[in-house]
Amino acid sequence: MADGPILKLVQPTDAVVETPPVIRGFPRVKLSATRARRILSVGGGKGGIGKSLISANLGIALARRGQRVVLIDADLGGANLHTTLGLDVPRRTLSDFIDRKVERLEDVVSPTGVPNLGLVSGALDNLEAAMPKHAQKMRLLRHIQAMDVDYAILDLGAGTHTNVLDFFLVSDHGVLVLVPEPTAVENAYRFVKAAFWRRVRNVAQVFGYETLLHDIMEGASFRSPVDLVATVVERDPEAGANLANQLAAFRPRLVVNQVRTPQDAEMGHAVVAAWRKYFGLEMEYLGGIEHDDAMWRAVRVRRPLLLDRPDVPAGLAFERIADRLIAADQPGRIADQA
Amino acid sequence: MKRLSDQTLYEIIEVSVETSPEEIARACDRAAATYGAGSLVTYTLASSEESALLSSRIEEARAVLLDPSARSRYDERIGVRPHATPLPASPGTPVQALPPPPETRPEPGASSPAWPPAEVDVAVAEPLHISPGLPVFVPVAPPATEPAAPSATVPAAQVVSSPPPATLAPEGSRVHGGTSPAESSPWLEPASPGGDEVQPPAAPSQAAAPPAPDQPSAVAAPLPLALARPEPQPAPPIAPVAPIALTRAVAPILLDREVPPPRPLLVPEGAAWSGEMLRRVRESRGLTLQQVAERTRITRHHLENIELDRFKALPAAVYLRGIIMSLARELRLDGQKVARSYLDRMGPASDGEAKR
Repeated sequence: MADGPILKLVQPTDAVVETPPVIRGFPRVKLSATRARRILSVGGGKGGIGKSLISANLGIALARRGQRVVLIDADLGGANLHTTLGLDVPRRTLSDFIDRKVERLEDVVSPTGVPNLGLVSGALDNLEAAMPKHAQKMRLLRHIQAMDVDYAILDLGAGTHTNVLDFFLVSDHGVLVLVPEPTAVENAYRFVKAAFWRRVRNVAQVFGYETLLHDIMEGASFRSPVDLVATVVERDPEAGANLANQLAAFRPRLVVNQVRTPQDAEMGHAVVAAWRKYFGLEMEYLGGIEHDDAMWRAVRVRRPLLLDRPDVPAGLAFERIADRLIAADQPGRIADQA
Repeated sequence: MKRLSDQTLYEIIEVSVETSPEEIARACDRAAATYGAGSLVTYTLASSEESALLSSRIEEARAVLLDPSARSRYDERIGVRPHATPLPASPGTPVQALPPPPETRPEPGASSPAWPPAEVDVAVAEPLHISPGLPVFVPVAPPATEPAAPSATVPAAQVVSSPPPATLAPEGSRVHGGTSPAESSPWLEPASPGGDEVQPPAAPSQAAAPPAPDQPSAVAAPLPLALARPEPQPAPPIAPVAPIALTRAVAPILLDREVPPPRPLLVPEGAAWSGEMLRRVRESRGLTLQQVAERTRITRHHLENIELDRFKALPAAVYLRGIIMSLARELRLDGQKVARSYLDRMGPASDGEAKR
């Protein structure tokens, strides 16, 4: 079971939302209210685009709205989320959980000084933890899903390593961060494409389409999911319809960071439209975050912006995004947001 | 989930089907600025080919949606009500929600673009079949009258060197049911290989150079007239070229239409690709401008200007490159070579991008 793929599947509309399908390899979670209601991961491919700062400030904004939030530094090997929150290295970290020094993920949650907000600090000084084995990763994900919180926010590392992609794919909200620079845009596309194709692979594995897809993809490279789905439909209409359904659920949430001009903020809409044009898939633009001198000043003094200067434009942007996420997660919309 | 080539012009410029012409013009400008050459949001997402396709579709949107009669024909074709009579939409609900939600994926069969009914284009297309006496051969001599000397000296192997069919194999990824019209067209593959149509090369000396590209008036002139021209003096030594047969049988789908019979056409190696040459190849394939326009989604307006070498009226080189590539591919020519050759002939008017 531990070797199964990791992903969220689209559930039939008549299913009870909280009941995950029982599928080989799917992390089994306790069907109780003690499940993390929403897993939100923050990724983007490139380093230095503000993933950790966005994670920290969104965590604070959500906690202030009465949500119980835990921040998890999933940047295995480059953890620094504690610093953005102005904390010293906590006594217990993710390493202890991965090494099984503690049994429960709850045991490594440190207080942050913000009510309702906890932190699972990243693994430090442990090369093994930077490259967890698949079974270790599955255990971590199971525990994240079972945590008794409203939001678990995963701060992902840079790059498109499968560890990063799997965290992104298991999330309810995969937040894609980019800044209006060619390098960041390029890496964001690479990241989101890699995540998409990994999802294709995982869906195929779960439903036993591997042979079908292998045959189809052998002699051809598919640039667009539309072409892939059309080809599958031709061979096996039922599999094609299911694949289309599962893949359409891949719906990253976009955040444009370091917005300096109105055109920069508009870029979010343009990226969403371009993604739809060329890939035939949807993306949701959560909004832009203004470039703000207060931001780096806050980083220098190791205080989160929302605690230091909640009134500046960037601070207000975090508040807006938090409101949007909560609105999106209102009961009744949950089914759409899978 | 729709391919770029299957999205409607409204979807391409992201407006509803009821949008006013003024707003459509603005939307076209906006789309061209957003997705144009060097656009930050697309250059790492799409291949240059896809970008060119999008650019040509935006231009198509401008040409079609801003022309009232063309727009109403288009609306009819894609099955929306004429924009002049807005639908009594329920409040807050756009008539055609753009973009469509991903769940409403069209049926697999429906995703293949529906061609307009035959009667739409046959009537328009017929008058285009001029020059019935077009000779079978394009002259084999290199066009020595090219205005730009460098292009005439392009190494022969560089311009037309490989047999076209090799470069025209349908992309493997394509599905025959949902083939993008702007790209490979498997149903255009010949019903029977045209191998028997390879003609022995004509004696090179008796053929005249093609009309100079800056003489659009000469377009329809049958070649025999050209014999009256003096042999171009500075003509490079005429190598015994191996002409390549380009003729293939006409597509089966066209059989029920009145189309001119396909004629064998030999294209000399090393010839520069002028608009005139492209026209001849097109006619040798038995295709009307209208048909090519529909398959490639290049507007007829652009196609005419390309064939008449109206360089001034053509879009910027970066766009033109993609347009010519898809035109050439539709004609089962090597898109890269044709585009390079054509843009080279434009000389300084084209920028470095095209000559890359």
